[in-house]
Amino acid sequence: MDSSIHESLLEVAMSSRDDAVDLEELFESSDEYDPVPRAERLRRWLDLSVLAPARVAINDWRALIGTIILGCYLVVGTVGVVVVERPYSDVAPRNAPPFQNLEYILGTDTVGQPIGALLVHATPAMLKMIFAGAMVSVGLAALVGLLSGFMRDTLVDTVLMSITDVIITIPGLPLVIVLLAIFEPENPYMVGVLLGLDNWPGLARTVRSQVLSIREEAYVEASKIMGLSTLTILRRDLLGQLMPYITINSALSSRRIIFESVGLYFIGVLPFTTFNWGVMMNMAYQNHALTRPDRLHYLLFPMATIFLMSFGLVLFSQGMDSVFNVRLQARHASTTDGEVTSDE
Amino acid sequence: MSDPIFEVRNLDVSFAGSRGTSRVVRDVDLDVYREETLGIVGESGSGKSMLASALLNAVVEPGTTTGSVTYRPPDGPAVSVLELSEQELRRFRWEEIAMVFQGAMSSFNPVMRIRRHFRETLQDHNRNIEAGLERAESLLESVYLDPDRVLDAYPHELSGGMKQRALIALSLLLEPQVIVMDEPTAALDLLMQRSIVSLLEELQATHDLTIVFITHDLPLLTKLADRLTVMYAFQLIETATVDTILYDAAHPYTRALLSATPDLDVAVDEMHAIDGTKPDPVEAIAGCSYHPRCPLADEQCVRTEPPSTNHSEHHTASCFHHERAPAAVPIRGDDLEEADR
Amino acid sequence: MNWNYFIKRFGQAVLTLAATITLSFVLYHAMPGSPAESLKNVILSQQAASGSGTVDLERLNRMVSMYTNIQPDEPLHVQYYQYIHQIVIEGSLGTSIYENKPVTELIFERVPWSMFISVYALTIGYSLSILIGSVMAYTEKSRFDSVSSSIIIGLNSVPYYIVGLLLIYVLAIQNEFFPYGGRVGSNVAAGFNVTFMQSIIWHAVLPVVSMSMLGLGGALTMRGNAVRVLGEDYLRVATLRGLRRSRIATQYVGRNAILPMYTQFMIGIAGVFSSAVIVEQIFTYPGVGLLMYNAIQTQDYPLLMGSLIIFTTVTVIGIFIADVTYGFVDPRISAGGSDE
Ligand SMILES: Nc1ncnc2c1ncn2[C@@H]1O[C@H](COP(=O)(O)OP(=O)(O)OP(=O)(O)O)[C@@H](O)[C@H]1O
Ligand code: SF4
Ligand SMILES: [Mg+2]
Repeated sequence: MDSSIHESLLEVAMSSRDDAVDLEELFESSDEYDPVPRAERLRRWLDLSVLAPARVAINDWRALIGTIILGCYLVVGTVGVVVVERPYSDVAPRNAPPFQNLEYILGTDTVGQPIGALLVHATPAMLKMIFAGAMVSVGLAALVGLLSGFMRDTLVDTVLMSITDVIITIPGLPLVIVLLAIFEPENPYMVGVLLGLDNWPGLARTVRSQVLSIREEAYVEASKIMGLSTLTILRRDLLGQLMPYITINSALSSRRIIFESVGLYFIGVLPFTTFNWGVMMNMAYQNHALTRPDRLHYLLFPMATIFLMSFGLVLFSQGMDSVFNVRLQARHASTTDGEVTSDE
Repeated sequence: MSDPIFEVRNLDVSFAGSRGTSRVVRDVDLDVYREETLGIVGESGSGKSMLASALLNAVVEPGTTTGSVTYRPPDGPAVSVLELSEQELRRFRWEEIAMVFQGAMSSFNPVMRIRRHFRETLQDHNRNIEAGLERAESLLESVYLDPDRVLDAYPHELSGGMKQRALIALSLLLEPQVIVMDEPTAALDLLMQRSIVSLLEELQATHDLTIVFITHDLPLLTKLADRLTVMYAFQLIETATVDTILYDAAHPYTRALLSATPDLDVAVDEMHAIDGTKPDPVEAIAGCSYHPRCPLADEQCVRTEPPSTNHSEHHTASCFHHERAPAAVPIRGDDLEEADR
Repeated sequence: MNWNYFIKRFGQAVLTLAATITLSFVLYHAMPGSPAESLKNVILSQQAASGSGTVDLERLNRMVSMYTNIQPDEPLHVQYYQYIHQIVIEGSLGTSIYENKPVTELIFERVPWSMFISVYALTIGYSLSILIGSVMAYTEKSRFDSVSSSIIIGLNSVPYYIVGLLLIYVLAIQNEFFPYGGRVGSNVAAGFNVTFMQSIIWHAVLPVVSMSMLGLGGALTMRGNAVRVLGEDYLRVATLRGLRRSRIATQYVGRNAILPMYTQFMIGIAGVFSSAVIVEQIFTYPGVGLLMYNAIQTQDYPLLMGSLIIFTTVTVIGIFIADVTYGFVDPRISAGGSDE
């Protein structure tokens, strides 16, 4: 555990030189350019952007555990809701403490709904919200970043980057709160979309600067290898290079959506609609779970649920960070080593 | 000129790594004479920089240095460099021996002006700041820099070559006895290299300076150095005066090196023109470390390590079959004879 | 100081404010129905509560205008001009429907309190980050390093408000170490005296601690930066030059590792202000966040928009100051002027 935690954090790692070479081969072998049939290209693309990282991820314990945790939530959100009965009032005794009865193992709330079942049935809405939010923020970021990067120094670039800077500066939560207060969305997808709206500028900037640096490299490479157009090389490199940022940022924005949505449901800014972890916390809080120790579990279990999911996301992003880092390093090693500095 | 200022004995530098321990300097003995210029040559990765760092007991973490490095100042008792306390070491560095190391493009703190670098060096070594800064100005002038401009500049405002020269000026600030230069001219153009070299020669004459010069640039060394030592596979395999090396090299590797440098007026970037693969620092090589690539290698070479033997005064080499070397490894090109030495 | 850089940053700040004000104008119009329509119900219910009679359209428009700065009977561009004019020139953010007081008055009474806890939270969060991160980098790969990494990853997974709730539970309810709610003790006389100050600080501790969680992720960044700097050439040269350890630690490692965090710190300002809404509600700490929260509950749109504008203004000013001072600490910025 010692060394693996360490590796990702050590951004300019010197320790993983050897791995880097292997990875380089792993990644490069699948994306050399020649005309290939569409199916083959798709297969290669899949290999490059999904399978290869997945293969590497298995070797990183954080990525692995993170994926497992997230997988569990996915199962609970899909299969779980079918298996676990939908909770109603008084299907069980009220205020039952946890770990007493297998029927309601996490105890019950003040109206006799099993807490475990509430948590399970809140999962799909949470997943929908997270999905929508992450899609919106990552999608917008990619769109703005790509557009801006490709149209560097044009009006479009200037305008998009100004908008990006403006949104970075506006405090996100108050903005979202105003939006929510005015539109009062009830659909979890809609909530996710609104929450995702303030979350894209950072990634957009990263994407833009990546595009710029790839453009630079592609230009150099194209002039070296005659007959390859810059565009071809760009297309070849772009996805592979952006994938890390997109993956990691999806995880981080998901975590942020959870934090914000649960927080807003908890303080009651978002309308109470379906089952929701934040709503559960709010109910618990309203019912004095903090001051009455016999009701504390009503508050603690949703908290733990939120924690575990965020933990999964953080682990996943950290793991992916180190997985991709090794690879990025390998890619850049060749371009930075032979640097020639001229005098004056 | 056989009064040693540095005596290196049984020097070993090793790194513990995941693949095993790499020994990147192996059992090196070396004398550096007072006021000479000693050149160290060898292919990339042979351990030259490590050897140089060890002279200042400055091998990067987590490397360990064993053996002994004795420094004999002009006056006062000998200093055992590897046994200095942290405080003593801090004093020793830059006051007695300064080092301009490889790739020093970013040798300056990017958020501080150059002047501050000179000033803090003076401060931390308790020197007179006024006098020191005056000296700094004249040093900068002697490396063809405009002192006023350079001192007030931030590192990013200077070009690579200017930074390199400013660093050379900085290295001479405290009037050290010895200066170690690890490829100081690699980033400079030919003209600048020449002027640095003549500058070093001048400085050496006026400051009683001892210079240890590491480079890939054999032609440059033949002009600058008094003696050469050749490093191969983390060991020194031959040491002699420049003339002896050029005309009477005893070790097959040295000879191969010379023949791979056809024109001694043109620098080669890398010494990779020799056949075979580079040695691996993790492996322990049985016998002579050069035997996998040596045309003369025989049973004995594979089994036993050749001892370092004296061929003449100031000429040592480690090879069993040195008498056969000139015939087996001819140094190509007769123009060598006409080379301007 | 490079004027180009200064002007660019200033322009950015003005643009952000203009954008926020415009956004609030747009949002008034984006409300279901016209602003008049949607506010009518709110105003009517308030009027009914206070016992006034019926209202005709013209009076309603006048009231909408008084509360929101928007004059519903004018053409859109005139409305927009007047809206901006009211805010920028007259310094009016409208009138709170619920409290019937100028929005600015309500907000400005509270801004210092929010600033107080936010600034402390940010400072404490980042100072701790920098400290922990540097020690981690110096003791790279040690037990301390890996344990702290794990703890920080763990803390990164806990929302700050959950930290807040747990703090309340453990330190205010189970053990009554700290007060829970309010910003000063109810029986403490206001004024420039020690008891009053103490009481203020005492009430701020828990909110500040839970908000400072937001800055803690910075420790990993700091660690990464410091590890990177430790491998830089100039650090090696500094050691070879025989500089003092303390100088190397502060002027070389510290300064160069902290510099890149400055940007993060700037963005952190926005983050911490954001968290005020939730934190102040949980701790019933009467700052702008709680005001905003109450505005949502009472559908007090002028107050809501006003809070957003003020939140943004404070953030913009903070970021602007940070931006401008950054030029002093990092010479490369003012020279290059690059924002990449
Ligand atoms: N930090 C380190 N940890 C472990 N091994 C290292 C480290 N730095 C260098 N080495 C190894 O030590 C050996 C000697 O390196 P050194 O830098 O002394 O070579 P060099 O002769 O100076 O080469 P060059 O001409 O390229 O500068 C190399 O094989 C290198 O792989
Ligand atoms: S000892 Fe043997 S192998 Fe080594 S250099 Fe001499 S001849 Fe070659
Ligand atoms: Mg070297």
